[in-house]
Amino acid sequence: MRWRVLGLALVCLGLAERSQAQEFKVWNRAVQVHGFASQGFVYTDHNNWLSMNTNDGSGAMTDMGLNMSSQLTDRLRVGAQIYDRNVGRFGQWHPSLDWAVADYHFSNWLGIRGGKVKTTLGLYNDSQDLDFLHVFAFLPQSIYPTDLRDTTIAHTGGDVYGNVALGRRFGAVSYTAFAGIHHDSIYSGYPYLATQWSAYFRDIEGPQYGADLRWETPWKNLLLGVSRMNQEITAKGFFQNNAVAPQPVPYQTTTKAYWSNQYYGRLHGRRLEVDGEYRRYVILFPMFAGSNVSMDARGWYISGTYRVGKHFEAGSYYSRYTITTVSGGLAQFYLPSQTDTSLPQNHVYDKVVAGRWDLNRFVYLKIEGHFMDGYGLGPYPDGFYPQQNPAGFKSKTNALVLKTGFHF
Amino acid sequence: MKDTMDILTKSSMRMLVAAGFLLLTAITGNAGDIKIIANGSVKQDSISQEELRAVYLLQRRTLRDGSRAVPVLQKGGPTHDVFVREYLGRDAEEIRIYYQGLVFTGKGSMPKEFRSEGEVVAYVLGTPGAVAYVSSETASEGLKVLTVQGARKTGERGLITRVEPQYPETLKQMGIGGSVRLQLSISPKGEVDRVLVLGGNPILAEAAVEAAKRWVYAAWPSQTTAEVTIPFRPNP
Repeated sequence: MRWRVLGLALVCLGLAERSQAQEFKVWNRAVQVHGFASQGFVYTDHNNWLSMNTNDGSGAMTDMGLNMSSQLTDRLRVGAQIYDRNVGRFGQWHPSLDWAVADYHFSNWLGIRGGKVKTTLGLYNDSQDLDFLHVFAFLPQSIYPTDLRDTTIAHTGGDVYGNVALGRRFGAVSYTAFAGIHHDSIYSGYPYLATQWSAYFRDIEGPQYGADLRWETPWKNLLLGVSRMNQEITAKGFFQNNAVAPQPVPYQTTTKAYWSNQYYGRLHGRRLEVDGEYRRYVILFPMFAGSNVSMDARGWYISGTYRVGKHFEAGSYYSRYTITTVSGGLAQFYLPSQTDTSLPQNHVYDKVVAGRWDLNRFVYLKIEGHFMDGYGLGPYPDGFYPQQNPAGFKSKTNALVLKTGFHF
Repeated sequence: MKDTMDILTKSSMRMLVAAGFLLLTAITGNAGDIKIIANGSVKQDSISQEELRAVYLLQRRTLRDGSRAVPVLQKGGPTHDVFVREYLGRDAEEIRIYYQGLVFTGKGSMPKEFRSEGEVVAYVLGTPGAVAYVSSETASEGLKVLTVQGARKTGERGLITRVEPQYPETLKQMGIGGSVRLQLSISPKGEVDRVLVLGGNPILAEAAVEAAKRWVYAAWPSQTTAEVTIPFRPNP
């Protein structure tokens, strides 16, 4: 595994000098081609993290993407991106259509895009996979959990968006309103977590709609925003447990439609950037008929990055995630109610320090240390899985992350 | 003798350091002189700093006159560094990341980038709506040079030489006074290129224009405009 990590790192370095965005013409229209890949290595001292065997050091952390886009007319742009990842049990090298959009621009304050569209939610939801854009190898997991990226990342439907200048005294606002269907990968955190209860999901999807409003304030480089998203999730699959039901029994559950509310701000200086975000959602779903589970997840973080030089940037964040669960009926046997967020099974507090070194315009290296308190078990995943930690959990976990990647 | 040599050496060193400093200043000054050029299809003669920023951040696709706006970038270099810092409020690395964020999320295309200013000029010439930045020394025949309006920046631009207008004797004797409002277009080097009369007595305005043409402002990264009011008081 480690040789593969090293190999990919060397390939990245080898490609460094040759990487250039490609452009070619089709029917006299320029087509841009861009791509990226990253490879990580994670070591933890206690709990295994993010479905990887991190106690032994794991290099099962690879992703890549390739996109093509073309400006067909002054107003119409089309494009698509393929994305593939293998992070522990997530992705498992099943490529997906990350986005595929036709974008028509009526005016500065009105545009529409349709197809499979990346969902605008907070500062980084739509760019969370794009490692080369960020100083951190892992964005704050309280808001951007790697194992749940599929739940929020995109929708098949459309956006209405625009930018309205309010004059020098009031800045400008950008808005995005969206609606569509979200399709979650079955190779993501929730389906993996559910296997511990002998539930195997084969299809997870549901409707979603929402909006994002961000204000570029007249105060230099201060951005404030709010996002709201309403989702309903239907998970279909089967239940199979040799002790209880040796034959597969069809199983389906649908959450009550719920809102995710996110508030955020970014202060941007010459070398310093400070971000802060808060997100909360309350999900209610019937585990069995008459057995509801209600969970309340809250996360926030504050981060700062500082560009030390042209090629080096340092950063740190504090991320705080809590989850409470209230179960009724039969569900209590599977998911006992948990309401005390001071217990390690109901929170993850993560202190992070990181450094990013850009070897050139295309290739970078990252090193990152995580000092985590808690492991946040519950009906929703947040990085730690019982299947990967059969001997139980320790309350604290430290992680070292090394990552490299390139893009063009 | 040794003392004399020491003094001479110290004096030479000081001169060398001073010359080096002047040379550095000159290089920095040249790098900072930027003009905003546009294809002839762009109707407006000026662009506000906010408008220019919005065009380059791909938040605006049209200018306020309704014409198409296609931003053009330079691939690095001192002109690029100064432009993104002065006009976009970011450094070159940050602006590159900003564009990549749009490209890889399907929410925008990378603007055209060119290595040399010659390529930039050639592209702007042949592309309707193209807007670009080049060093003020770069030839821009056939292109429109946009003045950048920005009261905040213009306000910061210091007036170095102010020439007072000649009060027309006849009007002064007749006790006729008032104020003349002018719009000045100022070159990156600080010379007043163009003067537009916005209001006031035509005879007084003629005198005001003659004077304002001889004003000198501090050097600035680009062409700017300033609105000034010149008072004429017959009995001061």
